Amino acid sequence: MIRNNILVLMMLFTLHSFSQTSIVDIPNVSADQGANNFGLLQNSPSVVIERGPYLQSGTPTSVIVRWRTDTATESVVNYGTLLSSLSLNETSTDLTTEHEVALSGLTPNTKYYFNIGNKTEVLSESVTGDMYVITAPAAGTKQFVRAWILGDPGTANNNQREVRDAYYDYVAAAPTNQGKTDMMLFLGDNAYNTGKDSEYQNAFFDVYDDMFKKSVAWSCLGNHDGDSADSATQSGPYYDIFTFPTAGEAGGTPSGTEAYYSFDYANIHFIILDSHQSSRDIGGAMYNWAQTDIQNTTQDWIVTLFHHPAYSKGSHDSDFDHRPIEMRENLMPMLEANGVDLVLNGHSHSYERSYFLNGHQGFAHTFNPDEISKGGHTVGATGNGDGKEDGDGAYQKTSVATEGAVYITTGSAGQISGGDLNHQAMFLSLNELGSCILEIEDDGMGGQNLTVKFLRENDEIDDYFTINKSGINLKADAKGTEQKSVVLFYDSDKGLINLNLDAKERLKKVKFYNNVGNLVKKSKKESINVRKLPKGTYVIEITTNKKTYNEAVMIE
Amino acid sequence: MTKLFKNLGTNLGTIQVFKRLLPILTFFMLSVQVFAHGDLSMRIAEKTVAISENPDNAELYYERGLLYQQHTEYSNALEDYHKSQVLGNTNKALHYRIAEVHYVTEDFKKALKSIGSYLELDSIDVKGKKLEAQIWYNLGAYKESLKAYHYVMETMVDIRPEDILEFADIILAENKNNYNDALEAIEFGLDQLGPNTLSLQLKKLDYLEDSDQREKALEHYNYFIVEYKRKEFWYYRKAEYLAKMDRPQESNISLKLATATIGQLDDRFKNMSSIIKLKEQIKSLESLNNQRL
Repeated sequence: MIRNNILVLMMLFTLHSFSQTSIVDIPNVSADQGANNFGLLQNSPSVVIERGPYLQSGTPTSVIVRWRTDTATESVVNYGTLLSSLSLNETSTDLTTEHEVALSGLTPNTKYYFNIGNKTEVLSESVTGDMYVITAPAAGTKQFVRAWILGDPGTANNNQREVRDAYYDYVAAAPTNQGKTDMMLFLGDNAYNTGKDSEYQNAFFDVYDDMFKKSVAWSCLGNHDGDSADSATQSGPYYDIFTFPTAGEAGGTPSGTEAYYSFDYANIHFIILDSHQSSRDIGGAMYNWAQTDIQNTTQDWIVTLFHHPAYSKGSHDSDFDHRPIEMRENLMPMLEANGVDLVLNGHSHSYERSYFLNGHQGFAHTFNPDEISKGGHTVGATGNGDGKEDGDGAYQKTSVATEGAVYITTGSAGQISGGDLNHQAMFLSLNELGSCILEIEDDGMGGQNLTVKFLRENDEIDDYFTINKSGINLKADAKGTEQKSVVLFYDSDKGLINLNLDAKERLKKVKFYNNVGNLVKKSKKESINVRKLPKGTYVIEITTNKKTYNEAVMIE
Repeated sequence: MTKLFKNLGTNLGTIQVFKRLLPILTFFMLSVQVFAHGDLSMRIAEKTVAISENPDNAELYYERGLLYQQHTEYSNALEDYHKSQVLGNTNKALHYRIAEVHYVTEDFKKALKSIGSYLELDSIDVKGKKLEAQIWYNLGAYKESLKAYHYVMETMVDIRPEDILEFADIILAENKNNYNDALEAIEFGLDQLGPNTLSLQLKKLDYLEDSDQREKALEHYNYFIVEYKRKEFWYYRKAEYLAKMDRPQESNISLKLATATIGQLDDRFKNMSSIIKLKEQIKSLESLNNQRL
């Protein structure tokens, strides 16, 4: 009897373990289910929408609308700023089942309603106005932004749906910008078990169908996506399903690949890395690209996402797996040195959120939250606190104190898998289902707050923190205040460069070099007319009988 | 005697029950380790249970081998792949995986043999040809590598920057002075992937420098300076190159432009550690240049 009871207990334990991770097989439902969406009409007798529409690669002036039909047909998107008058349209007469239509020439920060169809009929529309795209604000715009962050969601089971519904409840009742989701950020493993197209249908499109019709989805590659997709050939469902910017179309540096890319949204720069299949080596193609990309942005906030967590003691151990170690040791020092604010990872099916970190590339046990110094482990007076404005205080960044980032491993949007959950760099580790919400808004004092909330599947917010960035509005003097010169003065009103030499010095010559160092003007006068020079930065070489000066001037 | 048989029967029954529960027990034992190694370990454990139930299933060994490979347990992966072969798996994918494991464990001769078996079954597969080219490269057989990679370049639909870089590297391995062809490969990549693809433009710069095409290299620095919003790092790199070419005065002009550009940055960028470090580098190089003037 005792033995039987032990066996039953063991089986129950095993079943519990399965229940946390197993994938519920759901029939491959597609178009018919779409027709059940409130306010959405998809009743074409001839052509059936099997997938979508979903929005990709949104920029201030463009967006890509994608969908799938059961038979090959033309692609038509009708759109306009009034639901009652979709007077604009984009058409492709190519017959296809995989439709991909780029809308361009749009106005930034503007809501466009749309429907999709072919040359003879509308195949999907929303009479209640739930199918739309709001174009991204122009880069640099400071405004409220909300992103929904989903890590490892693709189980297609009720866990995933409960996490989804909790967010839908949250955004529907949000005190500010109700109903607005500027983007969805997927942290990979979007469709278990191997990221096949049919699994994407069940675990991705069928689950988030409503949101995909009004919010642009971005993603990084997860290891399960990588089971059926191959970065080396950019083939497989993951690469077929998504359309990401490879040529800097959305504001970043051209990477030439969808495996890693970047984009701007408002005053945020997002860097998406491939921690799974691309080389993570220093000096590798991805590293070089990321370094150039981050060193080229002038955005106020920098957020990076990749699948394998830099820090985790969840169902994956960042001290054990080589990918997290390489990301942490190779990529993170460079990204931190260039001002990354927030790092979003998945892979471990839990929620682990760090202190305000900088320069901790070692194993978990080497982390020391009390080490607060330049290149230390936590940053600033509040860096080893909870990051809550109503607690130990928000994490702080200023125009002088520019270091510090919060790392979140949030891979529990579809399942939880436990683990030790005791990484020392983490302020909080939870074995709970949920997704994260990123919100950026003005702090009312000239700066901005970046707040992230961990929203449980039961609608509870189990964690939140804020990074406050002051001095965002401290713009540099256009003339370059650091370049005040004692030997020359630029009078922009008169378009003159006036030299101010010592009485004992005799001017021999003056040379002007343009922004690429080419000699563009010579003079021997002490007052030089520069009105005809194009705007830009110049180096002026002044040679006297005593010495040679090199001064930089911004000609307006 | 009857009691003996009864006990024996009970023991045999227990053995039967135990045998039936063995897979569950195995899974339980393995699941204890799961938390340490993540869901890949979980999947390996599941596959191990499946194998214990179907020990002659070639496909299961192949699948577990694949999981071992992903978990970088290469000797276990090879063991499973070979077991799968012994059990009758003739699938070409198996040959590819075996080649791949030999390749990552740097047993290039065995890798070549396996990829050969794979290509016998599918001689036009791009992925297979690419691995073959990489194996030849590591064996120092650059002509063969180049031939295989040519096929990859001509056939691959979605070329990545990494492919172009690898191809160009092989060209130079085959003939260390053949920068013309290497640069041509880069231009081909830029044509395919977009004219501003960063990693290709960076490699072009490297090749121009390495082949001592000085003026073209300087022009290429100017390309970066003009193309990019933030120019300070490019000015510095150009200054470094000019200094290396013993042109300290021009180098100083580029450094001055770098400093001016930093001055135009918002305060928060000026105080980032990367910029602080850059300022130190500028100062140091300027000092070196001035000594040479």
